[in-house]
Amino acid sequence: MGDALLQIQDLRTTFYTRDGLVRAVDGVSIEIEAGESVGIVGESGCGKSMTAMSLMGLLKKPGKVDGGSIVFDGQELLAMAAKDRRRLMGNRISMIFQEPMTSLNPVITVGRQVREALLVHNKGMSRSQAKERVIQMFQLVGIPDAPKRYGEYPHQLSGGLRQRVMIAMAMVCDPGLLIADEPTTALDVTIEAQILHLMKDLQEDKGTAVMMITHNLGVVAQFCTRLYVMYAGKVMESGTVREIFKHVCHPYTDGLMRSVPDMKSKERLYNIRGMVPSMLHLPKGCRFCPRCQYSMARCFEEEPQIYEASPGHFVRCFLFEQGKGEKRP
Amino acid sequence: MSEREILLETRNLTKEYPLKNSFGIRGKQVVHAVSGVDLQIFAGETLSLVGESGCGKSTLGRMVTRLIEPTKGQILFEGQDITEYSDREMGQVYQKIQMIFQDPYASLDPRMKVRRIIEEPLVTHRVCKSREEREKRVGELMGMVGIRPELASRYPHQFSGGQRQRIGIARALALNPRLMVCDEPVSALDVSIQSQILNLLKDLQEQFKLTYLFISHDLGVVHYISDRICVMFLGKVCEIGKTEEIYGDPLHPYTRFLLRAVPSMDPEKRQGQKEILTGEIPSAVNPPSGCRFRTRCPYAKEVCGQREPELRDVGERKVACHMAGE
Repeated sequence: MGDALLQIQDLRTTFYTRDGLVRAVDGVSIEIEAGESVGIVGESGCGKSMTAMSLMGLLKKPGKVDGGSIVFDGQELLAMAAKDRRRLMGNRISMIFQEPMTSLNPVITVGRQVREALLVHNKGMSRSQAKERVIQMFQLVGIPDAPKRYGEYPHQLSGGLRQRVMIAMAMVCDPGLLIADEPTTALDVTIEAQILHLMKDLQEDKGTAVMMITHNLGVVAQFCTRLYVMYAGKVMESGTVREIFKHVCHPYTDGLMRSVPDMKSKERLYNIRGMVPSMLHLPKGCRFCPRCQYSMARCFEEEPQIYEASPGHFVRCFLFEQGKGEKRP
Repeated sequence: MSEREILLETRNLTKEYPLKNSFGIRGKQVVHAVSGVDLQIFAGETLSLVGESGCGKSTLGRMVTRLIEPTKGQILFEGQDITEYSDREMGQVYQKIQMIFQDPYASLDPRMKVRRIIEEPLVTHRVCKSREEREKRVGELMGMVGIRPELASRYPHQFSGGQRQRIGIARALALNPRLMVCDEPVSALDVSIQSQILNLLKDLQEQFKLTYLFISHDLGVVHYISDRICVMFLGKVCEIGKTEEIYGDPLHPYTRFLLRAVPSMDPEKRQGQKEILTGEIPSAVNPPSGCRFRTRCPYAKEVCGQREPELRDVGERKVACHMAGE
């Protein structure tokens, strides 16, 4: 699989805080093929957003990438000069964020903001050409009255429309990879359904790969083909969405799925006991073991490797060491 | 049905906020936040208010506790009209109505120790005779919500979001209330913590025969916790009924689309385009004439623009739609 669009290998991102080192991303490997939609799932603090920020080069002090490699389209991003890397961002790789209000400039019209993104990466383009292209893009993402909306300010738009503007901005340069960090979390459910549909259509039309960062397993089930589950800075389980939703392996993923009320049964919800560990004081051995109902003495001592439970389905848990896969339901 | 005690009732409850123009002067225009809601909550049940942002569910929840003054209408608690109660009279009522809020970071005073946060209602209402009795009660309450009583002298910032929500629940429980208004109590929490809090709320309800008015936009959570649900759109009730009936066979078109919009946990069942509601929520300043949902409703007919649908009985439910039940 040497030809994936994005290959993150053993990425390590550390925050050098006064209280100690926080390894927010601790040896994460993720691959995304061209045109694929991949979900990164986990609870707050699991490192899913920090993986994306490291990839985009948007880490703020005291955070630093101090290990691993990120290869995009055959180029090593971490070895690149800042200037060259910046040229790639917003052009070949772009990102949309959770809160569309804070990521748009309130004093510049939305049309100009999107046009700017286009002009920065297309030096030869004239302003009027760019404006035309932006209006086309607005129509494509389903903004009604696109020419009128072009001249409006972010506060004049509803949350759903603002997220559409963000998507237009991210997609205007036809990126190869779109990183979506909780793109629908702040939206109402009927609007969420609209936005997910729009993203799916654009992805299929343009062949853009999408990295969907979310805590919502429903969004992953609906949108993604493959999935990585993260916990406390590490990938715990990965595989195709179909496989994982049918034969979930890692006790954490299993617990997560059973904690979500499913609108069908009123049976008592499963609880993962305890809470997410502090990143400053991680448990020895497996990071999940203090909360795991299957933990064994060994889990508290050594850290499990990644085992292949079935072809293409990887699990970081001793229960799935060679030949032991049937131990769990 | 008639034998069940109605704990809380609202009659034609309405809240309108006057809009100010750019000079800060009140004009004639108003935001119709909640428009004429009639609601009954039976003792011991969980009634959920569901809807998208701006539908008035939180405003309604706060009017019931008189944190927001209604523009029109009445609130009856245990048969008494509390709409015009003075602050002192409300003090008595607050022993029986308590509230849990969404943001566990903002609803606890950061400068108070957990002990003081939880005992504050006990002190205000002078329910405990001695300090010892009060401290014993605080310890009890912390135990009930699953926080070790030794942690009573810590400050809120030393707790995680889930634990803070537990502290908020302990404070609400302190006076043995009958009705708890829970405004999005689990929306800010992670999935694994959310299920812990939901189970805790269910256990407490059973133990203390609590009545919940539960406000949430999360349809999965609402299904899990409620006996009955009330779906709201733009300040109006669309449909009220038993949870199973509404989820099994939604009668109001808005309820139907709302339920279909929830991303399913089954990757084999993906949403189709035609199941998605188009358009956005209309403005609450100039709501559409007739049925407020008609501009987004694919089934809208002429009558929907002319007459506002009344909330009428369809089977055991109440639905506000001209077409429902036909």
